[in-house]
Amino acid sequence: MWRDDVALTILIEDPLKLPAISMMHTAAPTAASRSAATRNEGRLAWPRSPRVRGAAMLIVLATALACNGERKQGPASGGTLVVSTASDADYLFPPLIISTQGREIAEQLFEPLANIGDSLNVFGDAGFTPALADSWTWAPDSLSIAFHLHPRALWHDGKPVRARDVQFTIALCKNPDLASPIAPLLSGIDSVTIADSLTPVFWFKRRSVQQFYDAAYVALIVPEHVYGAIPASALASSPLLRTPIGSGRFRFRRWVPNATIEIVSNRTHYRAPARLDRVIWSIAPSDFGAAATRFLAGEADMFAAVRASMLPQIAKSDKVRLIEYPGFRYGYMIFNMRDPASPSSPNPLFRNVQVRRALTMAVNRASIVRNVFDSLAIPSVGPTVRAMATTDTTIPQIAYDPQRAMQILDSLGWHPGPDGIRTRNGKKLAFSIMVPSTSMDRQSLAVLMQDQFKKIGVAVTVSSVEPNVFERQQHSHKFDAAIENWNADPSPGGIRESWSSAAAHAEGSKNYGDYANAAFDSEVDSALSAGSPPVARRLYSHAFQTLLSDAPAIWLYEPRNMIGIQKRFHVAPLRADAWWAHLADWYVPENEQTARDRAAAGDAPAGADSTAASGNK
Amino acid sequence: MASNRGIVGTVISRLVQAIVVVAIVTTLVFVLIHTAPGDPFAGAMDNPNVSEALRARWRAMYGLDQPLLTQYLRYIANVARGDFGWSFSMHRPVLDVLKDALPNTLVLAGTALVLGFAGGIGLALIQATRPGSRTDRTLGAGSMFFYAMPDFWLALMMMLIFAYWIPIFPVAGSVDPIMHEYMTPLAALADRLKHLALPAITLALLSGAAVARYQRAELLRVLPDDYVRTARAKGVSERRIMLVHVLRNALIPTVSLLGLSLPVLFTGAVFIERVFAWPGMGWVILNAVSTRDYPLVTAGVIVAAATVTIGSLLADMLYAVVDPRIRGR
Repeated sequence: MWRDDVALTILIEDPLKLPAISMMHTAAPTAASRSAATRNEGRLAWPRSPRVRGAAMLIVLATALACNGERKQGPASGGTLVVSTASDADYLFPPLIISTQGREIAEQLFEPLANIGDSLNVFGDAGFTPALADSWTWAPDSLSIAFHLHPRALWHDGKPVRARDVQFTIALCKNPDLASPIAPLLSGIDSVTIADSLTPVFWFKRRSVQQFYDAAYVALIVPEHVYGAIPASALASSPLLRTPIGSGRFRFRRWVPNATIEIVSNRTHYRAPARLDRVIWSIAPSDFGAAATRFLAGEADMFAAVRASMLPQIAKSDKVRLIEYPGFRYGYMIFNMRDPASPSSPNPLFRNVQVRRALTMAVNRASIVRNVFDSLAIPSVGPTVRAMATTDTTIPQIAYDPQRAMQILDSLGWHPGPDGIRTRNGKKLAFSIMVPSTSMDRQSLAVLMQDQFKKIGVAVTVSSVEPNVFERQQHSHKFDAAIENWNADPSPGGIRESWSSAAAHAEGSKNYGDYANAAFDSEVDSALSAGSPPVARRLYSHAFQTLLSDAPAIWLYEPRNMIGIQKRFHVAPLRADAWWAHLADWYVPENEQTARDRAAAGDAPAGADSTAASGNK
Repeated sequence: MASNRGIVGTVISRLVQAIVVVAIVTTLVFVLIHTAPGDPFAGAMDNPNVSEALRARWRAMYGLDQPLLTQYLRYIANVARGDFGWSFSMHRPVLDVLKDALPNTLVLAGTALVLGFAGGIGLALIQATRPGSRTDRTLGAGSMFFYAMPDFWLALMMMLIFAYWIPIFPVAGSVDPIMHEYMTPLAALADRLKHLALPAITLALLSGAAVARYQRAELLRVLPDDYVRTARAKGVSERRIMLVHVLRNALIPTVSLLGLSLPVLFTGAVFIERVFAWPGMGWVILNAVSTRDYPLVTAGVIVAAATVTIGSLLADMLYAVVDPRIRGR
């Protein structure tokens, strides 16, 4: 109790310091200090001298009174954030969410047991900070972890969060009748048992460096008393999912489909309420232009998908600023190693690693990325992003060297014909690049690459197809090359789904290019089951080195993410995989608040009219 | 009496035709959308956690792994019970999606139709009163300009000019997402009208331009008729001649145009709704097609086909109101 009040006091003085303060009290135990941390959990050293003890008691009393006084008056207003977006959420119920939009909002309403740190480390529990769980205890054999729930954690309907909610959540996510997208990520968890009402214990099938991440962070905990009565197969269509009840620092207020989603600060949160009074997602359905214009015209405070074309207008505004943060997306041109005409046969052109390497050498990635994205992207370093803790940026890339590319093709018997296009045995060195018609960026990249390939005597056509056709052609391996845009997952194990031999042999897998290399497979498998984080990192590094050397794709771009936001907002650090991770700590200082900020949830401003909304223009 | 029986018979026969047309269109759309590449879950494949196995599981959950005929028969049986299915893209019952979208489209398209037809007829009257004058030429050039303009381009220009450069109207949406619920009823109404203004004016400009051109031509065709000359000889005022005698006889082509425009009331103006993020039927159907939301596309098409046939029937009935000669046939 005392500890939380202190944390609350500090939060009011400086909200951005809260995570650090919390970590000081409840930081995740390392292997060496685990038992000591468990023993001292919740306790602070108490002075022995009566005089010092008396003074300390006075300080405690004063602090407690200050906190109570603060609560009676109600916390200071932190303003209203209006986020302009071009897409609605699919669900706000964590086990069913697929869209980024849904995740962005649900992660404000629901909490995991522990939060991943800003370093995005997924090995062990280093960097994780307490969320619903105050602390955790590892079994000596690491095959189970007991999480100790915060005793005052409450659901938004006032009921306490208990161990059986955790047990219910994991069982629900793994239930095949629900068909949850996170079920595969929980496959390492055998079961969850209940030690006492505040202590769920996770049991694992095997040890893995990622087991803490899987248990503590992947699933956001949902209340059993709300969702438990509904059969898993009927949950997706339950009206209850439209009014989610979570335990987070924000609580749900309203959802007008394709128009608005609103969340408000949870004033009774067991750690600290969100600083912002409310956050509103203002949706311009499927229309990027309208969403961007809403932000530029001042109708919204924030836009999370700033593009190069918007930069001049943002630069002209004295009320808006840009904040850059590392992204989790990357793009590449994949070579199909199956013959598109007969997908069961190998591709006569791209099965040859030397051809793939030569084609990679022909592409000046820095130049085309600059041309298409201006300064909003950098060349990619492989099927990963720089923000991932496991990414090794020192692995040598295949450098741009068109002369060497031509030498390789000459040596393979591809010689230039009268029209400049290389031929071998009467067959031209030609292929097509497939791109989705909805992506202007990828179409531009394909055209620029077409020109660079032509310079080394390779004829390329660009095939722009409807997104559904693009997806179908990929799955049926009926393409030569395709430009993909991929969202990474903090866990590096995800590369198995796209690049392993097992995935290549599985019909309908995401290994669209059919790349297979036993050395790569064994390195990834070893990394996944490695006993220690350093060993896992080294093995992942080897695996990536093998992959880059095989050139199954040309690694093109890694976007630099930018959010545009009104300057009156004080913004906590943006995390690479989720700009919204610390949204509850954002705020607007009272002297900078507009009429819109003061229109706090439930407090209709006197005489408010539609013009008040444009108060910050 | 005999003519009334004739009208009732015509209405019944046209309604039967309408049901047949709707049934054929529904079947065609159902088959075409199901055989098009992709499925409602294709978009989810961008998510690294969504595997092909999970997609297959979703397909099985919603019966999409069944033979097409089985799916079709089940769909028809459900529709007959008033159940239009589950929208995969909106994650809500299709009926709820349509219930939300239809009123928005009715408000937008209804306002635009009234403004467009009233404005177009008004312009045509001004032009026809002074044919060949500078006013006529200027208004003619203006209506030609809007008639020739692509709807999405005009919408973008209107947004750019009146929401961004001269910000007197909101950019998009049907109400202010932040302040609307805090407003007094009067302020809330003003807010709705403010949001309605740009899309409705854009749509009205486009339809009004067409109406003005048709109506002017028809007015000029009717003006030299004998009964107009007779009215003038009887000393009837020029204003009364135009409004009562000429306009009524020149309205028939415009009524046809109105009948053909009625489906827009229900199906929406796709591009206008999209540009102004107006959550109406046009946007819903467009989005449903791109996401392969089979139940929503099919339901949208049922609404569209039904309104086209009913609109055409209403137009025929309006002919009878406007032109007594048709009533007798």
